[in-house]
Amino acid sequence: MGVRDYLEEGIIVFDGAMGTILQDKGLKIGEIPEKLNIESPEIIVETHKKYIESGSKIITTNTFGANELKLKNSGYTVEEIIHGAVKNVKKAIGTKNVYIALDIGPIGELLEPMGTLKFEEAYNIFKNQIIQGVKNGVDLILIETMTDLYEAKAAILAAKENSNLPVFCTMSFEKDKRTFTGCSILSMVMVLQGLGVDALGVNCSLGPKELEPIVEEILKISKVPVMVQANAGLPSIVNGKTIFNISPEEFALYGRRFVEKGVRIIGGCCGTTDKHIKSLVNGLDNVLVKEIKYCPINCICTPTNSVIINGVKVIGERINPTGKKAFKDALVKGNIDYILKEAIVQVESGSDILDVNVGLPEIDEEETMVKVIKEIQGVLNIPLQIDSTNPKVIEKGLRIYNGKAIVNSVNGEDKSLDSILPIVKKYGASVIGLTLDERGIPPTALERFKIAEKIVKRAKEYNISEEDIYIDCLTLTAAAQQEGVKETLKAIEMVKGRLKVKTVLGVSNVSFGLPNRELLNKTFLAASIYAGLDLAIINPMNKEMMDTIISSRVLWDEDKGAKEYINSFESIEDKSNSKDTQDIKEDLFNIILKGIKEEAKDATRRLLTYKEPLNIVNEYIIPALDLIGERYENGDIFLPQLIRSAETVKNSFEIIKEDLSIDSKEQISKGKIILATVKGDIHDIGKNIVKVLLENYNYEIIDLGKDVPKEKIVKEAIKNDVKLIGLSALMTTTVKNMEDTIKDLKEENPEFVVMVGGAVLNHDYANMINADFYAKDAREAVNIARKVLG
Amino acid sequence: MIDTLKNKAEILRYLGHGNQEIDSITDRLIDESIYEINCLKKEKSIYNFFHIQRWNGEIRLDNSNLRLRGNDIKKHLNKSEICILMAVTLGHDVDTRIRYYEKIDMTKALILDTCATVAIEEVCDRLCKEISNVLVKDNRKLTLRYSPGYGDLPIEIQKEFLGVLGAEKVIGLTASTNSILIPRKSVTAIAGVISTDIEVEENSCLNCNKYSICNFSKGDASCGS
Repeated sequence: MGVRDYLEEGIIVFDGAMGTILQDKGLKIGEIPEKLNIESPEIIVETHKKYIESGSKIITTNTFGANELKLKNSGYTVEEIIHGAVKNVKKAIGTKNVYIALDIGPIGELLEPMGTLKFEEAYNIFKNQIIQGVKNGVDLILIETMTDLYEAKAAILAAKENSNLPVFCTMSFEKDKRTFTGCSILSMVMVLQGLGVDALGVNCSLGPKELEPIVEEILKISKVPVMVQANAGLPSIVNGKTIFNISPEEFALYGRRFVEKGVRIIGGCCGTTDKHIKSLVNGLDNVLVKEIKYCPINCICTPTNSVIINGVKVIGERINPTGKKAFKDALVKGNIDYILKEAIVQVESGSDILDVNVGLPEIDEEETMVKVIKEIQGVLNIPLQIDSTNPKVIEKGLRIYNGKAIVNSVNGEDKSLDSILPIVKKYGASVIGLTLDERGIPPTALERFKIAEKIVKRAKEYNISEEDIYIDCLTLTAAAQQEGVKETLKAIEMVKGRLKVKTVLGVSNVSFGLPNRELLNKTFLAASIYAGLDLAIINPMNKEMMDTIISSRVLWDEDKGAKEYINSFESIEDKSNSKDTQDIKEDLFNIILKGIKEEAKDATRRLLTYKEPLNIVNEYIIPALDLIGERYENGDIFLPQLIRSAETVKNSFEIIKEDLSIDSKEQISKGKIILATVKGDIHDIGKNIVKVLLENYNYEIIDLGKDVPKEKIVKEAIKNDVKLIGLSALMTTTVKNMEDTIKDLKEENPEFVVMVGGAVLNHDYANMINADFYAKDAREAVNIARKVLG
Repeated sequence: MIDTLKNKAEILRYLGHGNQEIDSITDRLIDESIYEINCLKKEKSIYNFFHIQRWNGEIRLDNSNLRLRGNDIKKHLNKSEICILMAVTLGHDVDTRIRYYEKIDMTKALILDTCATVAIEEVCDRLCKEISNVLVKDNRKLTLRYSPGYGDLPIEIQKEFLGVLGAEKVIGLTASTNSILIPRKSVTAIAGVISTDIEVEENSCLNCNKYSICNFSKGDASCGS
């Protein structure tokens, strides 16, 4: 009987702590416990034996930190440690019917965007451990003590893609019901069960008493068996030693209570011993295993933000190049900042979810999808909808996405269903089904319903649940197919009523070709909501549409006490009453000097009504910038004031550039500069300040970001035919990487000019590493750029 | 909480403020950022006492595998038999918000980053004060804090340092391959336990606990404190 069969039948008891026992036996603090698998196997075997004698059905290998990063200076390889560890468990088990769990803890370094480790690097580290575990004959994989959902995802994918073994995954929560990285209970359950783990739950960090409310919440929403490995209470330090205070008897009482509530897998974590496990096993005599009925939740999430679709929610549609020239330009040029700003304003306008579509024939859609998702999740916690017709793009996007996404979309064609649904299932996403097929969009509601029915049926065949399916009954244009508009509304009602799935709709197509589009759009939106629309794909910056949503939430009793409604409209009234900016309009020159960012655009627009754009640059902006620069150098203003003036200029340029012909744009461009924080370093605020200032002087900045390998810097310098490269480093340890980058750049082309900056550098140090210039601050960087590029 | 009155001066100092006039927008942005940091920070800290063993020119800590190399830490702890290792962090939310502002508002990003730096130092000060309040009953106190990366104490010990405290499990603090603490607004430090009769050494740039982030220590200048 395998672990999975056993799990079907009843309760599984794991073992307790290993680390605590090893420290009692003399392991020094900070030493690598996994080395003992090879150096003192008898201690490990003995510990395992005690747990088996206490009644543990699953024994965990002593491999919590057996990954290549943590073992780096141990003198042992992952292969050796895992081999030794499994051998020890096998020896302890002998002929008994006990299973072996390969223990996998966190890597010890955090993934991007919080840390520097790349998702695929983390995946490979876990893959290496899993392959060794499988080779040595473990029965299941236990991924535990995770605090970062993204890292847990990398580990689960590695386990599922490199073994057929059951995968259990537990995370560690604080009393505030969040992990250290902010992951919520709901997000954990959504993502882990979506990825197909056999069991999920919590371990470590707290004692059973503190874990109880967390466990109760998990039990309510988890579709898969729930696992708990609590510490023996909360730790306290006595005479330099960590002490846990819950007795075996008390631990057992809680254990029984957990099982009575529905927990299926139970064991111990820090501070628990074989005595705790023995008491736990005894305490479970005659316990009644509670059968749990979970209630389905329609939820899309990131680790820190779960959007439950229990009323109409907004999907922002603006990350999409269709019909948008500036967006297309940004995609082609790789201008991620532009795309990020589109994301940020949509979130600020009230979007619940963002659609991400980067389909353009002239770019690599797979690569761009990955890049855009990474960038968005680096600064925002809004859930994403991955929008592409290409299954490869969807898979790449789902893999790198941190959370539970929606896929936009499949349609009723077999080819679409059979190529995309398996990917949706594998990554635990939700999916939009468009009610069209090879014949196009059917004219009647009934035919569209039939396609919806087919999509739902096929999705279920792929084990995708109803709560993860959203049907789009498709909007027709009133100007062309007037009689079809109401068919959409009818279809929504039918899908909601008969198929019990949620619906989604892009609304604004309805008004194409007619005047006063907004009126038609919002009327149709209100009608769709009445028909049962759950997810409205709209432009959230359109206030009329957002207001329609906000008001409908009141009318449908979703916005209790009309709180959101009152807040939205009261704050607008407040704003219109309290202008903290001056009534008298300043001219652009003074606005820049004073750094009144918010007024720069209006002032520029006013000037443009009677002045040529280039004259504005020469008569207002350049003189203001020069004066600001001079004031900064003289110590009359300090850094925040300098930057604010620079950002004011940036706002002004945004308006001017809209007005400039391509020729004039080239005329004002002063040349390209690459900026990068070198490999190993992630301090980039200084580099970003330099960027803002250089942009003011119309240098075109190619910002390679932080932690940039030298190869990439050289490659981009050649590719973009750049003369000046600015490198930043803030640590003495990464200046070496700066030196290596300069060496490679100069070898490639001695004409490359390199300026360097960062806290640890000075003139002498810059000379020593062969930099051409040292910029002590951002202003100095501008002076250098002027010298080199003019 | 950041004590607004006391620390606004500190925030301005970090921002490179001399005697320039502070305009109303800058002033408002600083106040907003102080408020924001107070909402965002999730302070966590851990510390432990260790007996010092002096061994072949390096310092070892009893019952641990950590070795502290270099002359500066030896000097720093030369009057101590016991020391504390401490690690504190403001958590990830602060980092995320700074990254966010870097995309839309660099002025705000810079000011928020500075407020966070002041806030984490304040957490350290408070923790040290708490520990000192206990120590004073035995006529003992703490020396100044000394962090990996100061002077000739290698920053590369960061991971082992966190390991000895169990900081990853207890407060969620990690170090990258290049020994950068993550969450970014975090501090690790060592302080010696000394008799209250001993005077704590005067500040120089090198044994200043803000050495690694100080604007003044870049060149020949010193902040003078």
